Amino acid sequence: MTTLELPATLDAALGRPGEPRAGGTDLTERRRLHLSRGTVVDLRDVPGLDAVTWREGQLHIGALVTLAAVAEHPDVRARYPAIAATAAAVATPQIRARATVGGNLLQHVRCWYYRRPGADCLKAGGTGCPARSGDHLFHACFDLGPCVAPHPSSLATALLAHDVRIEVAGDREHTLASLYGDGSDARRQHLLPPGAILTGVALGPPLAGEQAAYVRAISRARAEWPLVEVVARLVVADTQIQTAIVTVGGVANLPLRLGAVEQLLTGKPATEETLRLASAVAADGAKPLAGTAYKLDLLRGAVLDALERALADKPTAAPAAAPAPT
Amino acid sequence: MSPPISRRGILRGTLGGTVLVSESCAPPKIVGERAEAPGLAPPDAGADTVASPRLEFTVNGAARSLEVDPEHTALELVRNDLGLTGCKESCGHGACGACTVLLDDAPVVACLLPAVALHRRKLTTVEGLAPAGELHPVQRAFMAEDALQCGFCTPGFVVAASAFYRRWRAEHADREPDRDTVAAALAGNLCRCGAYDGIIRAVQKASAGAYEKPLGPEPAAPRYDARDKVTGAARYTVDVRLPDQLEGKILRSPHAHARVRKVDWSKALKLPGVAGVVDLLHGSTTLHFAGQEIAAVAAVDARTAEAALAAIELDLEVLPALVGMDAARAPGAAPVYPTRNTRKSAPNSSEGPLLPLGWDGNVRGPFKLFSTHKLKARGAVDKLREQPAEGVLVEGTYKTQVQCHSSHEPHACVAHWTAADAVTVHLSTQAVHAVAEDIAERWGLKRANVRVLAPYVGGGFGSKAALQLECVAAVALAKITGKPVRVALDRREELVTGGLRPAQEIELAVATDRDGYLQGVTARAFADAGCGIGATSTVLLRLMYAKAPKDIADWDVVNHAPPGKPFRGPGGPPIFWALEQAVDVAADRLGLDPVLLRKRWDPNPARNQLYDWALSLKTWRERQPAQSDRGRHRRGLGLAVGGWFYFVQPSARVQLDAGPDGIVVSTACQDIGNGTRTVLAETVARVLGIAPAEVVVQIGDSSFVPGPTSGGSRTTASLVPAATMAAEQLRDELLERAQALAGARGVAVAGGVRHPGGLVTWQQLLAGSPPLRFVGTRKRDQGGYFLPPMSDLAPGRYVAGALQIVEVEVDTRLGRIRVLRSHTGVAAGRIVAPALARSQVLGGVIQGIGYALYEERRLDPRSGALLTAGLEDYRITGIGDIGELDVHFVEDGYERVNGRSVGFAELVTLAPAAAIGNAVAHATGFRPRELPLRPDRVLQGVRG
Repeated sequence: MTTLELPATLDAALGRPGEPRAGGTDLTERRRLHLSRGTVVDLRDVPGLDAVTWREGQLHIGALVTLAAVAEHPDVRARYPAIAATAAAVATPQIRARATVGGNLLQHVRCWYYRRPGADCLKAGGTGCPARSGDHLFHACFDLGPCVAPHPSSLATALLAHDVRIEVAGDREHTLASLYGDGSDARRQHLLPPGAILTGVALGPPLAGEQAAYVRAISRARAEWPLVEVVARLVVADTQIQTAIVTVGGVANLPLRLGAVEQLLTGKPATEETLRLASAVAADGAKPLAGTAYKLDLLRGAVLDALERALADKPTAAPAAAPAPT
Repeated sequence: MSPPISRRGILRGTLGGTVLVSESCAPPKIVGERAEAPGLAPPDAGADTVASPRLEFTVNGAARSLEVDPEHTALELVRNDLGLTGCKESCGHGACGACTVLLDDAPVVACLLPAVALHRRKLTTVEGLAPAGELHPVQRAFMAEDALQCGFCTPGFVVAASAFYRRWRAEHADREPDRDTVAAALAGNLCRCGAYDGIIRAVQKASAGAYEKPLGPEPAAPRYDARDKVTGAARYTVDVRLPDQLEGKILRSPHAHARVRKVDWSKALKLPGVAGVVDLLHGSTTLHFAGQEIAAVAAVDARTAEAALAAIELDLEVLPALVGMDAARAPGAAPVYPTRNTRKSAPNSSEGPLLPLGWDGNVRGPFKLFSTHKLKARGAVDKLREQPAEGVLVEGTYKTQVQCHSSHEPHACVAHWTAADAVTVHLSTQAVHAVAEDIAERWGLKRANVRVLAPYVGGGFGSKAALQLECVAAVALAKITGKPVRVALDRREELVTGGLRPAQEIELAVATDRDGYLQGVTARAFADAGCGIGATSTVLLRLMYAKAPKDIADWDVVNHAPPGKPFRGPGGPPIFWALEQAVDVAADRLGLDPVLLRKRWDPNPARNQLYDWALSLKTWRERQPAQSDRGRHRRGLGLAVGGWFYFVQPSARVQLDAGPDGIVVSTACQDIGNGTRTVLAETVARVLGIAPAEVVVQIGDSSFVPGPTSGGSRTTASLVPAATMAAEQLRDELLERAQALAGARGVAVAGGVRHPGGLVTWQQLLAGSPPLRFVGTRKRDQGGYFLPPMSDLAPGRYVAGALQIVEVEVDTRLGRIRVLRSHTGVAAGRIVAPALARSQVLGGVIQGIGYALYEERRLDPRSGALLTAGLEDYRITGIGDIGELDVHFVEDGYERVNGRSVGFAELVTLAPAAAIGNAVAHATGFRPRELPLRPDRVLQGVRG
């Protein structure tokens, strides 16, 4: 039978068995599908997790801050434009009004096998990946492990493009790499131990003069899970690309950082030719499934699109008391 | 599988013969069981359950305090505990926005909101947007701009729009937001009818302050029932709650192919709160698709019923499944229906009765009855294969996908036996009259003892036109439990068995002579209607380019998938996808304007007026040469035409009651978003010269005089003449009365009778009058029908026409196709209700855009299980995907049709996909063959 816990403090919420609930936009559906059973630890009454604050030059975003609040927050928009743009593109206005930073990072895959009653799926406690041998039209083209469902968090793709620490109560502080692992453990959605609570993310100092873009390749105008998504951050000085960070989602069971693309951008003139050459290697190393080869082409196109849009973006201002760029 | 429901098509015998009715509609013995001592209290909470949390919150301004089940959503709380049924459940997973409510002024979806989240918060539903009896400016705007059709999604849109309105006006005062700003704000709401254009306009205007005050006496709306729909007052079948009502749930096959050894429900029946179980296999022992109905359970609530389903022990022998046409046609594939008897049991996916056809393994056909001069057609094609220089031969295979109806109100029924031999059935249906007859026949009841009620229906599109299993289950469960039982499908069930348009593979050839005159058309179509049969498409080629010889044939390829159903313009979108693209290819190769080539081939007078209109359009005159854009974004313009029948239901009646209390028009018809109430009110009001709002319209009740099924584009053509006749009889009666009163002959004028002494109003004439009653009938058209009426349906003599021009922009980098604008011309006679007609046309275009670009049902290739099980993965057109839309009506040409109006609901959704295909080819040179035009296909196509 269901047990609902409504702890009044963070301390009281820690160490309890069961799944924490923030906005509930993912968990509610999984409860209905019986993919989540047992205790729910609802964080409704836990104070202090819904603030956006500067601390020592870093922006802390609480786990219960909604995506709508992230997208609209003036500091996020001014200093971390890629994150604001990403948050604004997720799901629908109604979902963004409830979905939280913590919930977005820890949500479960949207795979149509995982969410089907009775599927023999590793993540649902089964023995294999029915998508791999079945219909995987929307699945991964970088094959990193047994599960080929794309990582569902757009926010994670954006955070991967930043120097970010994941703050966790009841466990050590995490990076995205330690939060998600290397994609080889198909049974888990993330690597937080039971009873721990993700409390927020801390963003490293903003880049002065950053130009950023988020591109979500979808079929309709809005409100779709991305076929491919790209976050690009550039800093250009004297027509030279000084800093380039490119991360992608929708293509692997983890968000990926495209080091090869970044290398071909860094130190190069900020020209269309540079962007074209760099985006051309975006899919290098990909190992598509039978039905996802199209994503390679789409990925190269989306990376080029993101780079072009970033270059057209208005650079962020240097903060008054700006910490040195990383 | 013996057919659990009638195999009679909704057109009930257009092709003659109803042999199947008697064998399939014999009153069945209900196989089921009632719980011995049904403990109808909800099951006891277990010892390990926490006490239900208590919530303190405000609802629509009033403080509330109540205990909730910790597992419940805000949607369950709002609808079940608070009884606020304006908040609708549609997709159940946050994709459609029908359950949008305001949580502290922010729009959220109640289906994904845990009920406990309401604690110490402010909740506003559609019922609380304005003080009682008043309207919110957004509601006024939705009414005035006709921003709705069936109305099921409307409350969710209104609530979401109210949040945008508030914010916009706070920041921008009276400045009008642009279309895309509104679309972005409402991206979380979906409308299956496609009323988006009106919605955008309404929200733009309301946000600019145009509806701050009532515009004269309300309701000020072109749609008769708009007020009930924008306020959430309209009660749909899913909203019905009777005392002691039980909830029914259906047990479905987990396998695409299995033999049933045993179904043991004894444990389920013993569960507390479970009232009864009925069998839905009706003697059949083979399951033909994943999701097929096996049994149904009634219990005190949905969760208890679901627990009972899990307790039913199924002993199934799982058999190899053939999923899709390729598997079913493979050499050595085992037949889905191995014997003559099993073939007879295959579900009918068509509108008419099935003709006997041959079978070869899993392939049934050919159906080639409608070929004309077929040797000539074949000869023309064969000749060009050998001598290509003798003309132009366009050949190709065109493929279309399975499209689900996915009405936003799911299939739902609440059945209640009011006596041992009398049943009242609340049903989301397109046919209160016909389904009441079916129920009476099936359960051996007097027709007068069956009452089917459907005051509001949240969309149908062909999927709710016949007696369906959710109704059979609810009626049977209500019978054995002795209580009202509700059965409503959830979205997954709706997408499995709610109905689908079969996929098609069409091999089409069009042959012309050297001068570009059409010499013949050949077509072979293979339909994937799952385990269903009778889906045809090539017959519709007879509606187009009528003089050309045609060799046409259809086959079914049966496999282990859910059966097809008639879907708005059955067979139309696939065959027009093929034909109208082939015509464009021919025009291109002949170097002719596609409009002029069609004009040359097409003797249809209705469409010829549309060709002239198209040629006069600036958009068309000034279009760029093909592939003018060479960059990333490439624009193109495409055109396609469609033709469709109109039908008349000769039995249709309209009753008019008049007296001191006013004028009431009634018929056993229903409104599925098409505007039946409006058409009736407008028609009666026009005869009497009064305002439509002065006429009381009563529909959605099978106890009224027989009305038409809302299907087969027949409602308007059937009702308008009958309503006109009844209104004229009333008018003439009152004229005589006026003469008796005034002593002089008067003339009927707007509002009453003018005579030498002045004007006497209808009200004055009716004051003190005994009740008057007139029943109008649908008299035959001048010159009769194309075929004589059979089984109460007559195909009319004319073919209505539609022409669509669509401009697209193809993003060759990301593979996305964006519809920029569309022009639709419709030649379907006199337009009765212009605003509604426009909305219905646009809805057809918008559904066509979804069919062309997004919608695609996908099954697991091995298990046959549905993968696109929600509105996240089954994608319908969103509010941001429609572009600018223009509609043009040609109203003459139907002078011999009684009433001069015919239906066009189906007509307008035939050609959009083909127009988009032609536009994509015009923009990029990539000639698409397969739907939908997903980004991966576009990328592959433009890369060559």
